Amino acid sequence: MTTSGKDPVLTSFEAVAGQEFDVVIVGSGVSGAVIAKQLGARGCRVLVLEAGSGNDITVADYEESVQRFYGAQGKDNNSAYAKSRNAPMPRDYETRKLQPGQPNADGYLVQMGPLEIDSTYTRVLGGTTRHWEGKALRMLPDDFRMRSLFGQGRDWPLAYGDLDAHYRAAERELGVAGDVEDQQYGGLDFGPGYVLPMRKMPLSYLDRMIARDLDGMEVTLSGETFPLKVRSTPQARNGVPNPAYDEGRGYKPVGAVSTHQEDKGERCQGNTNCVPICPVQAKYDARRTLYAALETGNVQLLAWSVASRLEVDGVTGQVSQLEFKTYDDPDAPGHRVGHVRAKVFVLAANAVENARLMLASDLPGSSNLVGRNLMDHMYLLTWALMPRPAGALRGPICTAGIEDIRTGAYRRHHAAVRYSIHNDGWGWATGSPYSDLEHLVEHENRFGAPLRQGLIDRVSRQFLMDCMIEVLPDESNRVSVDPRWVDQMGNPRPVISFGATPYTLETAAFSRRLSRRIFQRLGAEDHTHYDPLAPGYVSHDGEGYVLRGGNHWAGTHIMGTSARDSVVDSTQRSWDHPNLYLAGAGSMASIGTANTTLTLAALCFRTADAILAGLGTHAPASTTTGARA
Amino acid sequence: MADMLDGFLALSEALTGFTGQRLRGTGQAEAYLATATGIVGEGVMRDLLLAAAEARASSGGDTEKHEAELRRLVMSDDRLGPVARNIIRMWYVGSWYQLPKPWREAHGQSPRDHDHVVSPISYTEGLLWPAIGANPAGAKPAGYGMWAMPPRIAPG
Repeated sequence: MTTSGKDPVLTSFEAVAGQEFDVVIVGSGVSGAVIAKQLGARGCRVLVLEAGSGNDITVADYEESVQRFYGAQGKDNNSAYAKSRNAPMPRDYETRKLQPGQPNADGYLVQMGPLEIDSTYTRVLGGTTRHWEGKALRMLPDDFRMRSLFGQGRDWPLAYGDLDAHYRAAERELGVAGDVEDQQYGGLDFGPGYVLPMRKMPLSYLDRMIARDLDGMEVTLSGETFPLKVRSTPQARNGVPNPAYDEGRGYKPVGAVSTHQEDKGERCQGNTNCVPICPVQAKYDARRTLYAALETGNVQLLAWSVASRLEVDGVTGQVSQLEFKTYDDPDAPGHRVGHVRAKVFVLAANAVENARLMLASDLPGSSNLVGRNLMDHMYLLTWALMPRPAGALRGPICTAGIEDIRTGAYRRHHAAVRYSIHNDGWGWATGSPYSDLEHLVEHENRFGAPLRQGLIDRVSRQFLMDCMIEVLPDESNRVSVDPRWVDQMGNPRPVISFGATPYTLETAAFSRRLSRRIFQRLGAEDHTHYDPLAPGYVSHDGEGYVLRGGNHWAGTHIMGTSARDSVVDSTQRSWDHPNLYLAGAGSMASIGTANTTLTLAALCFRTADAILAGLGTHAPASTTTGARA
Repeated sequence: MADMLDGFLALSEALTGFTGQRLRGTGQAEAYLATATGIVGEGVMRDLLLAAAEARASSGGDTEKHEAELRRLVMSDDRLGPVARNIIRMWYVGSWYQLPKPWREAHGQSPRDHDHVVSPISYTEGLLWPAIGANPAGAKPAGYGMWAMPPRIAPG
């Protein structure tokens, strides 16, 4: 490890600027960390650039984030993380209703509409896995063949089976808790005898209450009948290791990330705060993988450094060097500009930032598809009160969902969907429990014992079901850049154009109807309503709905079979620039109904293999120990 | 201000429905009294505690009468009611909320009168969550798997 940075695991501007590495990776989130770890373990000399702070690798650093969350009046999904004017990040509260022709440039993202999207990401060490919830579902085999099977969207240049080994690697790396027996639907196949590293999270009291009345309810779609069942959700959260894992060798959970020995992070304690921060580090975040990468001795981390431009050789198309800007103060203007060279460059800064960097480097791709096909899941929220206290606001945010209609012939006509049962009450939809307290105190004029009873009646009974709806790749949904909008450093800000198509909206309408049936079956009091003045409000067939973003940005460097119709190949390598990989959900050709992280981690294992194979001809520097700086 | 603490706790018991021991156990009583007094001024706070004491005294231990007296003397009072409601909010979620505009215009502005969490610990000591057998998001978890059990909603 270098010793010249502010921390033993960090390197410095002086040590890095002008140097050449085997591989330079932009971004320390899960994509970058997986690739860095795999390459570092094989002796490649790797530099990871992180735009955010590097002071985030000890338990004490982590505790600062927890305290920042406790002290934040607005507890949005980035509230635990330090703001920086030099590496700004989107906040959901910056989203507002757009007027036609008037973009919203109040936050970091410039929103052009027509649909306002309240998705965010986190520009800190470990990336958006710092605030992710941890759901780790595989995509379904059908999701990879959308065009062939349903005449919609695009096929991937690889099949589910091609990713199986990489899914297994990702499930190990992320530490997935789940029972394969509960994942037998929609053609999901884990292979004979396979078990996940840890047992499923116990279902919540609410899940069990719902399952009792709901299991067996039938839904008919396009002539196909699906019996519904409440199923445990696989998630990257430490639980009870499965002794059968790895052919009986078992699994040792990875605890808290720290430069010192720490007894934390062993098992989920039910803090109900997976987003924005698990206070005990039971949830996977990419710092675990990053730390393992640094421990190989071959990976260096340069923090407080924003990648600003890729420079390309006009003849070969190879990326020759990367320009970056290093700052000392997170907020004050001022930075130094440096360059690094490498045999291979990897952009792993998320689907929005990867596209932004390519476009800021005047590299829209020979297909002109960089930044296009922007996808994210659209969430329709539905909420009700259970007939009696159901134990809301306890446990991981979700422990179970309804998966049975994640695929079917209906996808010829409208989008796929899955449903999650929320253990955290109505918070996402209504601002509960704060809004409930406000209602009881300010409108019902309650205090004392009647106030306590009111909270039991109004909060403990809450059941929110989110409807996670697929969005197809559409070239008009895009990230672009515009010289009118730059950040403090002069880097272009992402400009987002996004709209929902009838394919997605039809499933929103179907899901609202289904939620009514579910509430009727449970005897639950339906409180769902959609405010026409809310951002994300859309009309379809005369009914209004509010769509929320899923923070699952994808598609902006879409994967395909040729340079004409895609940006990267099935290893995430750029068609135009042979020594450049664009890694992460941006490569995905569809998003189905799985949270993107597990799949993008699997893709990055595949990419690491491809990079190693490519570098093999140049003999990876396996003797290098990494003490470079 | 120390002489006001007992009165503040007695009022807080009536406002929150939690016992004085439970309230003291949060360790937040002094901080909430200081926050409220610092914003509304000692005069308002002393009048609030006097009104609460009068409500207690005149109800002779009858809960219904006590609640009615609190509504008459405190909750429906333009000057004292909004302050009492903010004390409830502090105990339940650890935050001070800006007083209503008419209150500020009539009784004075304070630079500290804006929405804020009193302290990181005041959030984790919020009583809303124990009131429903839950934990504040991100703190005081019940332990692995306890979410599978029915909520333990206990008086206290």
